[in-house]
Amino acid sequence: MNVETARGTWSVTWHGLRTVALLELRQRLRSTRWKVALTVWFVAVGGITALTSGALPLYGGGDDAGGMIYTIVVFFVLFLGLLVAPALTAASINGDRNAGTLATLQVTLLTPAEIVFGKLLAAWAAALAFLVVSVPFIVWALLEGGVEPFSIVTTMLMLALVLGVVCAIGLGFSALVSKSSASAVLTYLTIGTLTAVLPVVFGLLVPLTTTQDEVRVWAVPHGFDWAVDERPPECEWRTETEHVWHSERTWWLLAPNPFVVVADAQPLGDPDDQGSPPSGLKDLQYGVRYARTGPSLEMDYCGGLDRAPSPVEEVEPTDAMVWPWGLGLQLLLAGGGVVVAVNRLRIPQRVLPQGTRVA
Amino acid sequence: MVNEGGGIRAQGVRRAFGIVQAVADVDLVAEPGRVTALIGPNGSGKTTLLLMLAGLLQPDAGSIRIGGFDPVTESYAARSRTGWMPDVFGTWDSLTAREVLTTVAAAYRMDPAAGEARAAELLTLVHLGDLADAPAHVLSRGQKQRLGLARALVHDPEVLLLDEPASGLDPRSRVDLRILVRQLAASGKTVLVSSHVLTELDEMADDAVFISGGRTVATQSVTGATGEAREWRVTALDPAVLTTWLDGAGLTYRTEDGGAVVVRLAGDAAAATLLRDAITADVPVVSLAPAGGVLEQAYLALEEERR
Repeated sequence: MNVETARGTWSVTWHGLRTVALLELRQRLRSTRWKVALTVWFVAVGGITALTSGALPLYGGGDDAGGMIYTIVVFFVLFLGLLVAPALTAASINGDRNAGTLATLQVTLLTPAEIVFGKLLAAWAAALAFLVVSVPFIVWALLEGGVEPFSIVTTMLMLALVLGVVCAIGLGFSALVSKSSASAVLTYLTIGTLTAVLPVVFGLLVPLTTTQDEVRVWAVPHGFDWAVDERPPECEWRTETEHVWHSERTWWLLAPNPFVVVADAQPLGDPDDQGSPPSGLKDLQYGVRYARTGPSLEMDYCGGLDRAPSPVEEVEPTDAMVWPWGLGLQLLLAGGGVVVAVNRLRIPQRVLPQGTRVA
Repeated sequence: MVNEGGGIRAQGVRRAFGIVQAVADVDLVAEPGRVTALIGPNGSGKTTLLLMLAGLLQPDAGSIRIGGFDPVTESYAARSRTGWMPDVFGTWDSLTAREVLTTVAAAYRMDPAAGEARAAELLTLVHLGDLADAPAHVLSRGQKQRLGLARALVHDPEVLLLDEPASGLDPRSRVDLRILVRQLAASGKTVLVSSHVLTELDEMADDAVFISGGRTVATQSVTGATGEAREWRVTALDPAVLTTWLDGAGLTYRTEDGGAVVVRLAGDAAAATLLRDAITADVPVVSLAPAGGVLEQAYLALEEERR
């Protein structure tokens, strides 16, 4: 036995991490449910991919359907992932506690951080297995064309990170409450908040974020008589009071949405490129970037009627990346989950969570 | 071997869960090289006390030293010296018995080769060699119990905390357990065993600590009990002759069903004297033996005091 210097709560070694992760994976891999789950997943994603690539070209679009197929497959994988990932960790601490196996690990020389990160690593690896099973279909969707090939790198990376975040949140709740069902519900509620509630709040805040602002408009002069004047109007700068929606104040509500993070991380195409096929991922990406950029205080009401080119500058969404903020917020939540879990695994325990026993 | 820092030393230990005072005031000393029995009725705080000794639960007050280390402030050092076998034994169902032990060895930061060797050694020790590669969920309750004991021994701890180790064991395994525990004590380990089965502890323990209602109510040396007053059971071919002789000798006794007679004697010497006198007086004595174990008598005496 190694009699060495004491290790602190947060000390992590590769040896300890591997011990816990291996234990967790062995526990999972030997259950047949695991294989069934992967098979069901494979069939589900495969089915959706086949149906989508079979059906979409029929609705017109022809060869342009690639972008939409890719969008649907990626979002479906993400959607299923968000359903499965909480189940991988939501019982991993309170479940062990109820089975009487947690305390046996705690009394060993493993540190709380090693137990938590080991469990997280194993759950994440399991989540990634689902992702790996989906790769053939994502590649298939990519081969339908219309999507920049590099997108697959950012898409897979973001999917992997988002699933890791969900695992960490589940782990935190699993340490926090004593019932596995309760921690699963709390994890789903958190994911639901990010995915659905915050965008709804964003929408509901539109009236509050719309203000009467003075706006410079490039417009047809007052008193211009279309019937009399044969030449196009000479547009002029004018100041008018308009309803302006300041989405730049609330865009961050959209940022932590997993779908937004995945969509926004892909390489940004040229918005004016009319030839690019439609893609839900692209639309979402432009949507959130315009939301972050906010309204321009100069508007072009002349609409190309002018004799001279419009001096109003186009809103450029290229630099207003949303995903780093969203991912950052998600990682903050994940970090919170890990911190909670590690603190709950510290021994000796001072306070026991309601309704739990030590061993 | 015996040093001031060794063994288990607990003083004035208290622990409450909400309004329930599980452990109210426990003093306990378990010396290295000896087996100490922890005895108390259900709900007397035995398991809570063991959880505190194992370093899982923080006491509200009092001090604990495990091999000289405080499990609260020096958790890592105390943990490396403690082997804990819980009363409710959960196991990793999908792992084999061997994997359970190698996993625990890895968790104690042993290198894989040493862990493998130690696992094989322990599986033989607890007679699970045949089932080494069977998944843990096929093991019977008694076999799981033995695996739990092996698990507590993986890192060769100097202090062993065994919570009801004999429950679910068949007679053969009980004897093995007793021999193993004696061997461990003989090699200088400190062993603390909690159990309800007092006759078993009688044969295993050197010292006993009685707790009741979360308090230490008595400490007693089992091996030193030969000089103490206790009850002896005497049987004779003709109970009437025996009782007549006892009346004549002026001894107080009570008769049991079946004709046996129970007398309270001052110690082993008094028992020898009684036997010699009875035989000299031609009483056809068949047997003379302590009525119940030392611990059982002490336990029942304490129960009586509380009434």
